[in-house]
Amino acid sequence: MSSSQFDPIPMAPTEDPAPAAAPPAPDGEANAIRDAIREAIAEHDVILFMKGTPEAPACGFSARTVAILQSLEVPFAAVDILPDPRIRQELSAISQWPTIPQLFHGGELLGGCDIVTEMYESGELEQALR
Amino acid sequence: MPTPHEIKQRIEAALPGARAEVEDTTGTADHFRATVTAPAFEGLSRIEQHKLVYGALEPDIGGAIHALALKTQTPSTVETP
Repeated sequence: MSSSQFDPIPMAPTEDPAPAAAPPAPDGEANAIRDAIREAIAEHDVILFMKGTPEAPACGFSARTVAILQSLEVPFAAVDILPDPRIRQELSAISQWPTIPQLFHGGELLGGCDIVTEMYESGELEQALR
Repeated sequence: MPTPHEIKQRIEAALPGARAEVEDTTGTADHFRATVTAPAFEGLSRIEQHKLVYGALEPDIGGAIHALALKTQTPSTVETP
């Protein structure tokens, strides 16, 4: 954990430590996590939700996705979903995507490891992210 | 524990005309690789194609099925030389 952008939500990945001004929510904390995830996706052009960190991925699929992004030299924010199971729940509720990792670009889900790998191999990923 | 055969059947039952090839990549009945060919994928983005397959396997994705490496294609892309 060398950089604040790799801290888990809701502490990061915003560089601003102040919590988001979320509307009052009935089931408070889950919605706060969901809002923090939405905000992170909106604020970072390229953001990867993964198991572990880019320095120490905790899953082969996350590791492969990180390696692809690094090989393209694309700057990206990363969020470790492991510290709190609610991060994954809320993320999948937002994205309607059940698995980790999830790569977002420009606020949209690009895909998980398989799609990112296919796009990398076809050159589409480099085109999309540059 | 789902078997590759069961996963294949669930995908093919959910997507009309689909053909699925499924293998257990670790021998532990929780990591799988699937290649799915379906007319229903025509005109859809990869994300949408994968979501159709995931939908067929709800709620086991992320549960009994820890990992599913997925490749989707349409019959026309397969038949194209």
